Amino acid sequence: MMSCATGSDSKPKSMSRAKTWTAEVENLFRFQQAGYRDELEYIQVKQGASIDKWPETGFVKKLQRRDNTFYYYSRKRECKDDEVHKVKVYVH
Amino acid sequence: MFQDGRRLRTEGFTVKATMKNSVVAGPPAAGAFRERPSRPTTFRKFYERGEFPMALEHNTKGNHIAWKVEIEKLDYHHYLPLFFDGLCETVHPYEFFARQGVHDMLEHGGSKIQPVIPQLIIPIKNALNTRNRQVICTTLKVLQHLVMSGDMVGEALVPYYRQILPILNIFKNMNINSGDGIDYSQQKRENIGDLIQETLEVFERYGGEDAFINIKYMVPTYESCMIN
Repeated sequence: MMSCATGSDSKPKSMSRAKTWTAEVENLFRFQQAGYRDELEYIQVKQGASIDKWPETGFVKKLQRRDNTFYYYSRKRECKDDEVHKVKVYVH
Repeated sequence: MFQDGRRLRTEGFTVKATMKNSVVAGPPAAGAFRERPSRPTTFRKFYERGEFPMALEHNTKGNHIAWKVEIEKLDYHHYLPLFFDGLCETVHPYEFFARQGVHDMLEHGGSKIQPVIPQLIIPIKNALNTRNRQVICTTLKVLQHLVMSGDMVGEALVPYYRQILPILNIFKNMNINSGDGIDYSQQKRENIGDLIQETLEVFERYGGEDAFINIKYMVPTYESCMIN
């Protein structure tokens, strides 16, 4: 879903809710907790900052929020089943 | 006090106890399981002074701390014992920030944790000594996380079993015998007996070859989960 986005300030075309948990949904959940739509927006706002990820699972480890504070995430799954439907999946 | 007109209830080893018409009452409870009040913690003092590098936001429903600096750059010798000190807390927001702070620091500490271990023992012991069920649960989960957090941490903890394990020994049998009923605290991992068993097993697995004999010394009813 992120592969086709090329413009630097691309607005998402559509949005849907996640139905089941996947690694991708888990990462979106983490970005949205920190106040970003997804990885693309994070890179736009933070000017190409690199994203720390847990080596074993590939889950996001640390994010800098818009007020420059940091959120740290666990190496284990954080998005519980009853929170999956809150995750927004944007299509660019 | 006279019961049914004639019998006198009295304490043992008194003159009254030797009288024919007296009934000797049993000894009072020793209070091994009684909760003990904890003193105001240093964590609370520091928190109220605003000396922690955390943004204190009370509005989010989330369960994260917004750190003002990167955890990797924190001075573990200063902050980790302080956060452990806060484990005695039972009220919001202190309880949440202490617990979450400890977990965040342990998860991202790596090799910086092991040298701090000696400074963590007294806060851990204080927390367990409150004998408050909620505090014990939190501390046990923190202990499990601590042991698994870095290389040699489990081994470094073995010399301190004498300080930590007596309380675990007292509460080890605090299990609900519900027959074939459902124990709902199991799912939330709040059953103290089970949590202690789990913690001791983690200690044994990560504590190297001396771990088992040292655990057995302090908790005689513990059986090894590895030798079989």
